[in-house]
Amino acid sequence: MNVGVAHSEVNPNTRVMSSRGIWLAYVISVAVLHVVLLSIPFFSIPVVWTLTNVIHNLVMYLLLHTVKGTPFETPDQGKDRLLTHWEQIDYGMQCTSSRKFLSISPVVLYLLTSFYTKYDPAHFMINTASLLSVLLPKLPQFHGVRVFGINKY
Amino acid sequence: MAAAASVGQQWVLVEMVQAFYEAPAYHLILEGILILWIIRLIFSKTYKLQERSDLTPKEKEELIEEWQPEPLVPPVSKDHPALNYNIVSGPPTHKIIVNGKECINFASFNFLGLLDNEKVKSAAQASLKKYGVGTCGPRGFYGTFDVHLELEDRLAKFMRTEEAIIYSYGFATIASAIPAYSKRGDIVFVDEAACFAIQKGLQASRSNIKLFKHNDMTDLERLLKEQETEDQKNPRKARVTRRFIVVEGLYMNTGDICPLPELIDDIDLISANMENSLASIGGFCCGRSFIIDHQRLSGQGYCFSASLPPLLAAAAIEALNIMEDNPDIFHTLRAKCERIHRALQGISGLNVVGESFSPALHLRLEDSYGSRENDVKLLKKIVDYCINRGIALTQARYLDKEEKYLPSPSIRVVVTVEQTEEELDRAASLIKEAAQSVLN
Repeated sequence: MNVGVAHSEVNPNTRVMSSRGIWLAYVISVAVLHVVLLSIPFFSIPVVWTLTNVIHNLVMYLLLHTVKGTPFETPDQGKDRLLTHWEQIDYGMQCTSSRKFLSISPVVLYLLTSFYTKYDPAHFMINTASLLSVLLPKLPQFHGVRVFGINKY
Repeated sequence: MAAAASVGQQWVLVEMVQAFYEAPAYHLILEGILILWIIRLIFSKTYKLQERSDLTPKEKEELIEEWQPEPLVPPVSKDHPALNYNIVSGPPTHKIIVNGKECINFASFNFLGLLDNEKVKSAAQASLKKYGVGTCGPRGFYGTFDVHLELEDRLAKFMRTEEAIIYSYGFATIASAIPAYSKRGDIVFVDEAACFAIQKGLQASRSNIKLFKHNDMTDLERLLKEQETEDQKNPRKARVTRRFIVVEGLYMNTGDICPLPELIDDIDLISANMENSLASIGGFCCGRSFIIDHQRLSGQGYCFSASLPPLLAAAAIEALNIMEDNPDIFHTLRAKCERIHRALQGISGLNVVGESFSPALHLRLEDSYGSRENDVKLLKKIVDYCINRGIALTQARYLDKEEKYLPSPSIRVVVTVEQTEEELDRAASLIKEAAQSVLN
């Protein structure tokens, strides 16, 4: 992002998902995760797909919906201290392309997983629960909402 | 995926498609809903969450109609104090020439008389010859000269701390230091009488400010206890809230000192001005290295101001040399402060505010004469009376609308080591005389 020039962003977290190549990097890292899991001998294909899905969603939940604030000091006196990364993206604008991409990618992964797990009910339960954990916090209705005060401060 | 078929099962596409046909209905319905949701999402427009306004267009029109613009420059009366200032020619040293008349200076914060010191001047001149006048860059961008490092080192040693950091402007020192540490959501406990620079620093920090009564430790304790109960109610919030106490050593606006031993036994950061006793420019903060170091990237005044002109840093170093070589000057100053403090007691109509050893003390009216404006006018008459008879005084000036708690108007008397005992006595008796003639 802005290599070699001074950026004027108060909080670079807002723009990082719009920087060049980041979507590709994201897709490649999920693919690498999948291949690494595939190379482990004991796992069957459905287990590998479910694991890919669950790990992806877990990491996404932690990075986008749990960790708050910024890793660097911002000149706005910590305006985003209580906001998750998801809420900071594009200054809280809804339905921007980064947000669309990040909302659609877990669904696509879920559809693929469903297909490769042959619509098995046990896998269905795990994958759906995991999908909801990253989809619900992305809804505009949950923007800035902390259910039961969890992760509020 | 067929390549990974060595797991024991035969993964053939045909089988997969068959599984799809045999998939449970609930699963397919859910997938259908998700796909529809994706399509809707792709075609939805970008919007701002907070864009909703509860005002109808008609109400908006009314608000716009109601609005009356204020003049950019409001009418100012000719006798406004800001338009009628005294003009000083020559250096404001022991003697000062105000409006062409030579007076003894009781107005400049030149406590140790270093402003006109020959040693300081020659050190500054030598530095001027070596480095030129300015630095043309902040500390991080070729603005760090060896004299800056030397001055920081000397200040740290003088204050007996690990590290010191210098700023190029005294006011910006504390005003930058506070917001470097205290952010939104943090709490700062601060004395009501804190000076304007502290107030601006607090404002810039965006923190929650809790003011306690001036030098009232029980009031501070009450606030801390209140905070404690609040913290117990919400421990998770308390865990991420930083708390600070900000006090002044010698209060500029009241001339008294903070009861520090009662308050605390460990101080994290001391901030001081080099524009008064050191007779230079700028200010410094000192404390433990891990605290001070934070300001080198987070102190706005440090990062974004051109560094202190080297000649002023050299002057400050020389001033420190003088202070270290004759520590007696502090005793001399103290004795002189006590002398004039005693002499100023018992003036009818005027109260002396401040500790007896404070080199800057305030003279306030015993009773107000109706309004602040009247009080200021009366005090101005006293000041003019003294200036006409060779003693330069000044009123303490404030930005009336900006101050949190506007101190009552006062005449400020500044004691310096250069003033002789006769001069101190003369000033005291002249002030007494002026008060008698103006107030009675």
